[in-house]
Amino acid sequence: MTHKLNQGDHVLHVDTLARVEGEGGMHVVVKDGLVADVELRIFEPPRFFEAFLRGRAWTEPPDITARICGICPVAYQMSSCLAIEDACGVTVPEEIRLLRRLLYCGEWIESHALHIHLLHAPDFLGYAGAIEMAADHGAIVERGLLLKKTGNALMTLVGGRAIHPVNVRVGGFYRLPTVEELHSIRPALDQARDDAVATVALVGGLEFPDMVQPHEYVALRSPHGYPLESGSVVTSSGRAFDVADFGANVVEEHVARSNALHAHLDGTTPYVVGPLARYALNHDQLGPLAKQAAHDAGLGDECRNPFQSIVVRAVELVHAIDEAARIIDTWDGASAPFVDVPPRAGVGYGATEAPRGLLYHRYELAEDGTILDATIVPPTSQNQPSIEADLRAFVQDRLDLPHEELVRQCEQAIRNYDPCISCATHFLDLTVEEQ
Amino acid sequence: MQVLVIGLGNPDRGDDAVGVEVARQVAAERPDVTVLEFDDPSEAIDAWEPDDTVVVADAVSSGGHPGDIHVVDAVAQKLPTGRWSAGGTHALGLAAAVEIARALGRLPRSLVVVGVEAKHFGHGTPMADAVAAAVPAAVEAVLTALDDADALLTALDDADAVVASIDDLGGEP
Repeated sequence: MTHKLNQGDHVLHVDTLARVEGEGGMHVVVKDGLVADVELRIFEPPRFFEAFLRGRAWTEPPDITARICGICPVAYQMSSCLAIEDACGVTVPEEIRLLRRLLYCGEWIESHALHIHLLHAPDFLGYAGAIEMAADHGAIVERGLLLKKTGNALMTLVGGRAIHPVNVRVGGFYRLPTVEELHSIRPALDQARDDAVATVALVGGLEFPDMVQPHEYVALRSPHGYPLESGSVVTSSGRAFDVADFGANVVEEHVARSNALHAHLDGTTPYVVGPLARYALNHDQLGPLAKQAAHDAGLGDECRNPFQSIVVRAVELVHAIDEAARIIDTWDGASAPFVDVPPRAGVGYGATEAPRGLLYHRYELAEDGTILDATIVPPTSQNQPSIEADLRAFVQDRLDLPHEELVRQCEQAIRNYDPCISCATHFLDLTVEEQ
Repeated sequence: MQVLVIGLGNPDRGDDAVGVEVARQVAAERPDVTVLEFDDPSEAIDAWEPDDTVVVADAVSSGGHPGDIHVVDAVAQKLPTGRWSAGGTHALGLAAAVEIARALGRLPRSLVVVGVEAKHFGHGTPMADAVAAAVPAAVEAVLTALDDADALLTALDDADAVVASIDDLGGEP
């Protein structure tokens, strides 16, 4: 199908990657040649899980919420643990925090490696997908798979298994890995570190469409380094607030066309979470190797072109590998695997940095630990208004493209955010309506 | 060399549970077989080795009737893209994972995919009756695929042994 809008079409509709139910979709409204609106429909599983959690025990959210996503289960486990422990007035010991950070590094390595090499790189190198790219660039695909495997191995080592880790519990872990077990993965991490540095150089040399995001950036900032498992909230306009005040600063707006809630700062300002926001607000906390890689790839103190998120993701990949090696090298294994978290009535808040951005949980507990209320704000619902704003500007300049090419470029622009359009759903049904 | 059965899908998403359910029932019937569950199909590429015999069970959405069973020899033919589980923006579908493995020369010696036609993927919903009713037949299809692969590989190994013994005979002075 190669219709162009300027050939007189009013509504275009194409099933592109669609397989199931068309849960993800994009609708563009054009009036007098100008893009009047862009709507992104995203199905969001957390809404179901919030209802499902009510009435369950305070110990259950790490297991239940890990099922929301097969790609970032650790993020859901970590944010839920922090929130429950906050509600119960418990702070875990330093060793537990470090091991959580190590587990989280595994998830970042796995998720970023997959997205950079197998999902986003084909867009830039001119392939329909990783299959087609593999024929010409087998080494890049192999590198991505090997990095992903190392991330999985780290998650299995610390989390018990890579998908839906079973070793995580409120208060810590069921079992701690031994020093010997952790050291068994060091050679793979050394290899991964070299590979990731090579990937930063590769993606730093890609050609990027021009685009500058005006949006506010929001990320955690932590005294424990580049933010993963802890921190309070900071923004590029200089706001700073505790995770407990997230609900007072972020307003979720229900949008009728989507079962997602769209998040705004104070109800008006769209904002961005994820690699670009983390980098802008925390680049000083990157390790020396990641800093050098960023510098060599031409990144400054801030990167506002969403297409270059692939470069920032690669820099974060270097950092996560480096950080994992650092934690393993200092780990002495001498710690209790968990602390008791006795229930009490109260409200608790937790936020961590999922690979695709800040993930917020809030739980209200009864005296016996029964969950009375749960709120989960995933990164993608926070990014959605900004993705739509990006697409408005992006599509305007490309209205005369053939439909298939427009769809392809829009998918690339959406992939900048590595959005969580939950597993087993497929995007992108694109409709363009001329009024 | 190992015999692997891989169940793909998310057990918490309606009909998407079918691949995992089939794998679990195979595990109960065949304790000698290694059974794995993933909801990210790209995990499968790392799970198998070149000499392995692999059967993958997954939900498929190709427009047929829920519960229809598709059996594909993935070594002999390509999987049609866009029909198998877990694709989209930040995961690879099964077809993509298999085709990447093919492009990289990393397919196992034997790979059969047993797909069960599925339709509804709502979070927290049970499998549709028609899909759940197809599980025994899908389990049977997996067991048949294992037996067929076993027979074929035994025949191939026998043939190799015959060739080797002929070589040995020919090599005698």
